[in-house]
Amino acid sequence: MEDGLSTPVGTRRSFFVKTTLFISSLIGISLAIPLIGYVIAPTLQRRNKEWVALGKTDELPVGEPKALDYAMTEKDGWQESHTTKGVWAVKQPNGEVTVFSPICPHLGCGYRWDQQDRLFKCPCHGSVYDINGTVKAGPAPRPLDTLPSKIENGDLLVQYEEFKSGLAKKVEL
Amino acid sequence: MASRLYQWIDQRLKLKPLEQTLLNEPIPGGASWNYVFGSATLFLFGLQALTGMFLMIYYVPSTDHAYDTVQYIQQEVWGGWFVRGLHHWGASAVMMAIGLHMLQVFFDGAYKRPRELMWVVGVLLLAIMLGFGFTGYLLPWDQNAYWATQVGINMVGSVPLIGDFLVKFLRGGETLGALTISRFFAIHVAFLPAIIVFGIMLHLFILRRVGPAGPHDEARAKAGSETFYPRQVFMDAVVMLVVFGIVSLLAFSVEFPLADRADPSDHSFIPVPEWYFLFFYQLLKYAPGAWGPLATWLLPTLFFTGLLLLPFVDRNPERHPSSRRVVLGAGLGFLIIVFGLLSISLRDLYAVPKRDPSLARGMALVEEYKCQTCHRIHGEGANLAPDLSYVADRRPDRNWHLQHFKDPQSVSPGSFMPKFALNDKQLNDLTNYMLTLRSE
Repeated sequence: MEDGLSTPVGTRRSFFVKTTLFISSLIGISLAIPLIGYVIAPTLQRRNKEWVALGKTDELPVGEPKALDYAMTEKDGWQESHTTKGVWAVKQPNGEVTVFSPICPHLGCGYRWDQQDRLFKCPCHGSVYDINGTVKAGPAPRPLDTLPSKIENGDLLVQYEEFKSGLAKKVEL
Repeated sequence: MASRLYQWIDQRLKLKPLEQTLLNEPIPGGASWNYVFGSATLFLFGLQALTGMFLMIYYVPSTDHAYDTVQYIQQEVWGGWFVRGLHHWGASAVMMAIGLHMLQVFFDGAYKRPRELMWVVGVLLLAIMLGFGFTGYLLPWDQNAYWATQVGINMVGSVPLIGDFLVKFLRGGETLGALTISRFFAIHVAFLPAIIVFGIMLHLFILRRVGPAGPHDEARAKAGSETFYPRQVFMDAVVMLVVFGIVSLLAFSVEFPLADRADPSDHSFIPVPEWYFLFFYQLLKYAPGAWGPLATWLLPTLFFTGLLLLPFVDRNPERHPSSRRVVLGAGLGFLIIVFGLLSISLRDLYAVPKRDPSLARGMALVEEYKCQTCHRIHGEGANLAPDLSYVADRRPDRNWHLQHFKDPQSVSPGSFMPKFALNDKQLNDLTNYMLTLRSE
């Protein structure tokens, strides 16, 4: 049998084995990095928050919750969608406005204002809040979530945010 | 650690014999760089499958979203352009690898008894790969995708008797549209992959049953053999690295932007097929009138029939090239024709003057500033100011136009043309367009 025609042994063999392993890892890693980044990148992107004007504050009744429409253009991957969220605004006697997220902090249902009992009630699991968002009854772990708001030239400006449900603390999504 | 884990599994699953079978396959005449093309093809196929799966994460196969999602992958997703680039250039690379693999098998006479079945399965794999190329080309839903597929489908329509049915079957209806893209997508990502995985397994199964052919030189083949592992595996790995390097480099450095969104009403678009279909595209230009349909379906049918029958027609058991002059000569003739047509086609393509994009912008400015409220261009517009249809014949001087747009009265006293607020780029675009308005 000629030299070179037999299966390599010893150090020659281990050279081939090691180089093969090295090359496979090199190709693997150079593929894994872009591919993993490609999948993960959009999940790390923060929603850009905009201040949206919901109306004049003098049109809000003091001490009465009012449902306001928060209209926004959401960039959802490759498509843009126009969505409207109803938020709750409560004007305080000092003129400041508290804005509540429309989502119940318990498990994410939409709650309503019960005019008779003067309470916010969630129909899903029976959480009940007063006009300041404090939990009065039911399984809710924390008060209603307030949204960042400010008043400029009489306009109520709000930033829409979403929070994790079911936690005792308010944690932004 | 890894070896102890392997031992633990081996004690239970008895992997050693399997490992022996897989790696210790003897190669007559020893490992060789001649045998790397099959592995390179398999590697590239794997790369296509992997990048394809990742593209599917963001791609949506519908006429109203496909283009946007590909654009999103290309421009917005981190690394998306690279993943798409790998898939695009990988498609070309896999075709080249298949070509080289087939040439090696052909030249070495490795398709002969007892390996006829391996060759037949290989030819079917080639057909499936072309199917991948054809169905994948439509998916980005840009002008090129739309019109090239239109041409491809019409060629299928030239098949006698069942042509019309085939066309409707491919389109999923009367027109190329929503139903076409969804069925092409399903074929591309589900049906063909299912078939080809089976085909590849069969190809490899036959290889292991009959064994590798080894060199055509009998003396070398008889001189001894070595096992597939580790030297042939090493050679395959080196080639895979080189191939991966080239494809990555192309994906990294050569951009492959989308054309405009598919517009079924824009008949002015001239589609160009992928390079591996170009020789055929060129050939069709030489098939006059009645011969056209024959060229579009009969030639491909003959080509594939010829390939399939090759091991049964060429029954000369001799593998050495010196005793196979006729067959090798025919193969060489075929290659000369293919590459001849390919080079003519490439030359013609690059000879087509590229349209200056500034002309389109200049035309758009004419629209925007409503120049045709006063001027007439080829019968369109009012007749209040000079007709511009052949303005470059009268005014071939570029500077005159630039100055005229900036301040009409400075070069044309008494003109009632208003001054338009144009920036330098707009001035240039508009002037470039004006200079094309001449009688050839």
